[in-house]
Amino acid sequence: MNMLMSEAAPIADANSPTAMLEGDLVKRAQRGDLKAYDELVKRYQERIYATIYHMTSNHEDANDIAQDAFIKAYQALKSFKGGSSFYTWLYRIAVNKTINFLKQRKNKHHFSLNDLDFNTEHNPDLVALISEKTPLRDVGLTELQKKLNEALFKLSEPHRMVVVLHDVQGQSHEEIAEVMDCNIGTVRSRLFYARQQLQGFLAEYVKS
Amino acid sequence: MNEQEQNFESLKKLLQLKQHEVPPPGYFNNFSGEVIARIRAGDASRSEGLAERLQSDAPWLANFLRIFETKPGVVGAFATSLCLLLVLTVVFAERSEQATKDMLAISPEPAGMPVSSLASVATPMMTTTDTGGIVASTNPVTSLQPTPTMFGQPGYASLFQSASFAPAH
Repeated sequence: MNMLMSEAAPIADANSPTAMLEGDLVKRAQRGDLKAYDELVKRYQERIYATIYHMTSNHEDANDIAQDAFIKAYQALKSFKGGSSFYTWLYRIAVNKTINFLKQRKNKHHFSLNDLDFNTEHNPDLVALISEKTPLRDVGLTELQKKLNEALFKLSEPHRMVVVLHDVQGQSHEEIAEVMDCNIGTVRSRLFYARQQLQGFLAEYVKS
Repeated sequence: MNEQEQNFESLKKLLQLKQHEVPPPGYFNNFSGEVIARIRAGDASRSEGLAERLQSDAPWLANFLRIFETKPGVVGAFATSLCLLLVLTVVFAERSEQATKDMLAISPEPAGMPVSSLASVATPMMTTTDTGGIVASTNPVTSLQPTPTMFGQPGYASLFQSASFAPAH
């Protein structure tokens, strides 16, 4: 399952929530229609969860924060004026909640990593990394996953967020700038710095 | 920049590993249902702690309070400065109250007293003991005003009436 690809279910009925446009769903949800909001949650739950999970490296925390973010978004829905897309607005809430959570936790963190899916072993890039190109040829994928998460956690929250949104979630610089409420130059410089840092932390696994 | 991008190719491939980390099967089947149930139950207010709400609504205040958590010395300094501020406020309040009383206690010139007699006593070398409470000042108006003494105004006692806050019978 690819968490980046989360689209609405095929259209069954023009008036059913699954067939409605995002704007219509938002308007209905603003009037208190929980079915419409349920549909909005379904549309974005995977992406929101994935972002939070990659930031926290903890499934339980990601579950709690993602739920809280959706609830907070519902409570604040009346204040949503449509200046940005609902998705961006929702993302911003989730990102802020996650960063606040991590600041509160600071040094009291433990990993609760999700399992790697079946396709991992068939990803040619990863297979190449753990066989030919990596100096540590006998390293397993699970160990690599742990090392990668540890390295990510050494980054500051804004730097980790940029890497997660860009290199893991595949968002553009512009989207990230909007979500993180900063300019594109800041996103680019944070990304470059974060990659440099990661490259250093993972020097034995990454060919520079 | 292109060369730098190429340098990160290996890292980007490694980061692909994160995309393969997935939650337990069926996890998202109930996710939206749980969110909606919590909204219905009004659980949100309980789940969000005061600290987190403070952080999101007034981050400056939350950051300020966080300083107290990490640096106990700052708490003492802050408390001391608050106490000093309180004491200073009380002192200044008392002083200004006294000044107001003084201003209110100043009486108009007695009808029977000639101006010349007052002018004659308003000499630069005059002291309060000489004049019975007249203060030397560069202000031509107030310098001639007799100030009250602890034992009342000599010669003007009949002009004053003690204020009483006792209820009238």
